[in-house]
Amino acid sequence: MSHFIHRVEAVKRLSPSIFELLLDREEMSFEVGNCVALFDATRRESRPYSLAGGINEPVLRVLFRALPEGVVTSHLKQLKQGDELQVSAPFGWFRPGQDDSNSPCIFIATSTGISPFLSYVRSFPDRPPAHILYGVRYLAEAVGLPVLKAACPVTLAISREAVPGYHHGRVTDLLDRLPIRKRTQIYLCGLDAMIDDASSWLEAHGVPFTHLHREVFFYANARPHE
Amino acid sequence: MPMLVPMSEWLTTSDGKPRGYIQPVGLEELWFHTGTNCNLRCPFCLEGSKPGNNRIEFIRLSEVKPLLVEALNLGVKSFSFTGGEPFVNPDMFSILDHALDLRSCLVLTNGTEPLLNRLARLEELRQKPFPLSLRVSLDYPDRERHDAGRGSGSFRTTLRCLERLHQLGFNLSIARLMARNEDGPAVDRAYRDLFASHHLPIETRIVAFPDFHTPGEHPDGVPEITENCMTTYLTAAQRDRFMCNFSKMVVKQDGRIGIYACTLVDDDPAYNLGSTLREAMEKRVMLRHHRCFSCFSCGASCSEIH
Repeated sequence: MSHFIHRVEAVKRLSPSIFELLLDREEMSFEVGNCVALFDATRRESRPYSLAGGINEPVLRVLFRALPEGVVTSHLKQLKQGDELQVSAPFGWFRPGQDDSNSPCIFIATSTGISPFLSYVRSFPDRPPAHILYGVRYLAEAVGLPVLKAACPVTLAISREAVPGYHHGRVTDLLDRLPIRKRTQIYLCGLDAMIDDASSWLEAHGVPFTHLHREVFFYANARPHE
Repeated sequence: MPMLVPMSEWLTTSDGKPRGYIQPVGLEELWFHTGTNCNLRCPFCLEGSKPGNNRIEFIRLSEVKPLLVEALNLGVKSFSFTGGEPFVNPDMFSILDHALDLRSCLVLTNGTEPLLNRLARLEELRQKPFPLSLRVSLDYPDRERHDAGRGSGSFRTTLRCLERLHQLGFNLSIARLMARNEDGPAVDRAYRDLFASHHLPIETRIVAFPDFHTPGEHPDGVPEITENCMTTYLTAAQRDRFMCNFSKMVVKQDGRIGIYACTLVDDDPAYNLGSTLREAMEKRVMLRHHRCFSCFSCGASCSEIH
């Protein structure tokens, strides 16, 4: 696997802490669910990020949450149009909606963990998931909501503010409302605590563990997509 | 052999004594490095693996196939796979599907999402002619220390994976970290208690590894191994158990396949013994790498066949 140089098209601030990085495609092909490692060449550090764009879009899209202590994101958020960025070849092991394409699928995400699911609905508009359950801290952090809602029913859980029309709480509060059928494949992406809690609940309620597909990066010092 | 160190340094220790060595006898086990790409970023990783890393590249099925055949012709008994995390390699299942038609296989894994997400595919491999075993990294028998290195939540995920693998009927072992001056039997007892509380067989094999340091590191104070050390302090049977005696590892770097002396020396090109197994098995392995001392002093071995 090689590393490549991509040019920055834009860095968009989507909420106070969530950004979308757009890179020129440079003929890179990828699969829905793939990640790329983005490098801060000066600090010789890299972090993996799930791709959020469609497989046929002319740009690469990456969502990231910028935190003050973010090792690579502090570099990413100050990039300008035309800057160069070192990017790994795409890689990954998470394939939303593709483990059993004849079965219905449900996506569950928190925060920027929505990235692979945005990639899915942008890539396969004719094969929408049965439902998306999406957890954010604030409504402003619900990035891509119009894209998701255009594809399928979306339930939003907002943990840190009450907003009329949306559930005030965590995604795990809403698992019993999901349209789970016998063959439903469930894909989870986001914070490890949510994924663990949701996986435990789903298994306890009869979902076979082979129907659960998880995407989470573990870090000693940093979380994914930060 | 790419002779990247002076011959005198290769053959003798810094004080001029004949360096200890192993003359391989026969290939019993062939390892494949699947690549240093990993979903985790453990600061102590002896391979320096992390997401997107390509120090060692993904090996592909087309590159594995001819080596499986050559290994069979040399009498190999088993195939083993390590990384990185092998299950992030896109060809891993097709490689196992092929290799398990030929010999038993062992895969070293961190037991997290790349494997958890593919348990249905893994279960299909139970139908193959030869068995698949998995060695799962569980660094410590307590959550705090394991998660400190591998990330919050990873201890619970790995235990979940172990439970599922056991339910599916796979042979399991555990790889753990060995601390200096530890009470080994007490640590193993803590693991047995953990296994019992998670419905895992309490006799599950535990393989302990010392700190091998990160790739390219040259820790101070590691003693050199002389010929005299090998004959004075080790028996012939102990020397036979050095992995470089009966095993080799296939590594892909810069687009080329190389056969390395063992699983621990892929950061030193001097241990690239050639591109065919036959020529690699003919090469004497000088015990010059600092990790060789771990094999010498505490019998560290990645293998499960000796």
